[in-house]
Amino acid sequence: MPHYLEGSRNSCALHGALQLFEAIEGVVPVIHSTAGCGVQYYLGGTRMSGGNDPFGSPPVSSSNIGQKHVVFGGGSRLREQLKNTVKVVQGDLYAIVTGCSTEMVGDDIPAMAREGRDQDWPVIYANTPGFSGDVHHGYHLAVKALIEQLPDIWKKPEEFPSGLVNIWGIIPNQDPFWRGNLQELGRLLEGIGLVPNLLLGSEQSVASWQQIPGAVLNLVLSPWGELPARLLEERYATSSIILDGLPIGTATSTLLRRLTEQLKLDTIRTEAFIAREDSRLNFQFARLADSYYRAGFQREFTLVGESAQVVGIAEFLGTSFGLLPRTLILTDNPPDSVRQRLVTRLAAIVSGYDSEVIFSEDRSEISDIIRSSEAQLILGSSLEREVSVELGIPFLALSFPLADRIVLERSYAGYRGATTLLEDIGTALLAFSREYHLC
Amino acid sequence: MSGNRLFVFQKIIESVVHISNSYRQDMSEKIGKHLAIYGKGGIGKSTTTSNISAALADSGYRVIQIGCDPKSDSTTILRGGNDLPTVLDTLREQSKLRIEDISAIGFGGVLCIEAGGPVPGVGCAGRGINAAVELLQELKVFDEFKPDFVLYDVLGDVVCGGFAVPIRDGLADRAFVVTSSDFMAIFAANNLFKAVNKYAPSGGARLGGVIANSILAAYAPSLIDDFAEKTGTSVIGYVPRSLVVAQSELYGKTVIEAAPQSEQAQVYRNLAQYIDENDDSVIPKPLNSPELKKWAREWGDRIFEVETGVVHEMASI
Repeated sequence: MPHYLEGSRNSCALHGALQLFEAIEGVVPVIHSTAGCGVQYYLGGTRMSGGNDPFGSPPVSSSNIGQKHVVFGGGSRLREQLKNTVKVVQGDLYAIVTGCSTEMVGDDIPAMAREGRDQDWPVIYANTPGFSGDVHHGYHLAVKALIEQLPDIWKKPEEFPSGLVNIWGIIPNQDPFWRGNLQELGRLLEGIGLVPNLLLGSEQSVASWQQIPGAVLNLVLSPWGELPARLLEERYATSSIILDGLPIGTATSTLLRRLTEQLKLDTIRTEAFIAREDSRLNFQFARLADSYYRAGFQREFTLVGESAQVVGIAEFLGTSFGLLPRTLILTDNPPDSVRQRLVTRLAAIVSGYDSEVIFSEDRSEISDIIRSSEAQLILGSSLEREVSVELGIPFLALSFPLADRIVLERSYAGYRGATTLLEDIGTALLAFSREYHLC
Repeated sequence: MSGNRLFVFQKIIESVVHISNSYRQDMSEKIGKHLAIYGKGGIGKSTTTSNISAALADSGYRVIQIGCDPKSDSTTILRGGNDLPTVLDTLREQSKLRIEDISAIGFGGVLCIEAGGPVPGVGCAGRGINAAVELLQELKVFDEFKPDFVLYDVLGDVVCGGFAVPIRDGLADRAFVVTSSDFMAIFAANNLFKAVNKYAPSGGARLGGVIANSILAAYAPSLIDDFAEKTGTSVIGYVPRSLVVAQSELYGKTVIEAAPQSEQAQVYRNLAQYIDENDDSVIPKPLNSPELKKWAREWGDRIFEVETGVVHEMASI
């Protein structure tokens, strides 16, 4: 049944592709669309993800087509834009992404990319009209373009590092903590003797993407990473470990043991690493105990976010921190094929306690659900701040859009991410408790 | 605060009233009768339209014919086969246009305009038609030329929203469809009926009637009559297939110009006279897909019988 959608947190496919390309150093995206697509990407995407955006707005090249390009085709405008971009912006790879109007018109983008390559420019393309899907679909399209087209531009490297693991499913900006999360995952993999291929973030360039075929494993951290893993299995017969969400706290130990077993790593080294990390985390739990009981941390909570975050955070808080996941709202419209699996898993995090699992991206509906949930802590995006004030309950913003926090390297994944999460939730609860009881 | 809001609200109401008044003014000031002619590609739309334009002009009316087809050959036979820069081509080259740049005076003083469009396989022709029509309105072609009749000759089928522009938004008052007795031509006519049916209730053009063209087979008039009856429309003229038309076209002329005394010229004059004297229009009732197929199959059976009958009759002569 048709309904209004208020304050959706899922932007369009073009933006998803742009987010991915911009997260790889040396990749220069070229938008082939009407004026405004790039600005919208800044206003509704990067700027809303923890204040971690380029100064002013992203310097994205765009063909800014007008009516005559719609009527007569915009191929020549794109050709000109590509030529000018190559002249003024140095890059290792130029990635054409398209908007709605140029796709409606049917501009021949592959031919334009081919023309560029004929002139020895490294050019790839992704057809990313907004009407084809949302930001997650855009992530898929961009990843697919890189996997399929990079081998046409550069020869496969002859040697790969041994124990290389590709990481998939973390969508830049859509997960505001993506940089920190990837770094922590990299640290964990290194800790058990693997070589992480983070693919996105600082020091991750086209060279990282050229390493993809040589990986021993694809580590998938959200339903959105399943497609790249499948593509790579078909192309290079690389096996995968598929998780529904980010490993946080004790879930990290499970993952590390699974990796060790599957890749036949040094068990002693892994156990030593896990023991060190577990002991640090346990020490922190012990130090937190006083505040935990004094300020009444243990309470029911509502969590609103992308499925990868919801799975990771809800399970950590529910199983290790004694909080009760009252209502879990997944905002990323995960594919039908994984929904039942997610519901079954999330509804029974705490034994003997049923959690409510809801799929929604509608701000108004989400606010109503929170109102009726009677939970005493809200973990969500900045869009949920208003309802938390209305209800007078503590709140922590941790999912997209994140308009009122600065996130540079903060992580909510792995062991260190678990610590950060405890600090932030504890701070939110204490601040609230002081406000109401001490002042 | 509330006073301020009230003031803003009043301003909004005023501007809405102003806009609707100026819209009404535009509508009442529409100069001339605007007619859109549709039909399957190659069915003889441009020939029919040009001959109607020529006949109307010959009777002393001021006529504009606008070709809305990327092929841009609608007005060729009104202009002796000469080239005419299209609106969109000219728009591509220069930003400021004058009416003279994109029009030519053809037979009988008909103002000929070709909207034009992209080369096949590139760009969006539908948006092109939209842009060209917008430009003609901006240039105030109708205010300047003060036509009695404006005829839009529109590409084959109503394949997308762009080609429905002439029958949307009250641009044309009436649409006519040219069809032969071929099933695909009837199919295209039925599609136009669907478009008219969709837009007419909200101020779009209504259907003026069906023009039966290329009438050769004996069963053709009855078949087209039957289709018109089934869809709640009527046939306003039957144009027989004629060598005169082909010959005139080879000379780059309309029949009205090349063979004014011919019977064929009279057929077109009658059509022009009908269009001039009748303002009748209907909202057609298009057949849905199964109905159209069933109707076609029934006619398939009947034609077989009719054809057999014709052969017998001929044999007896």
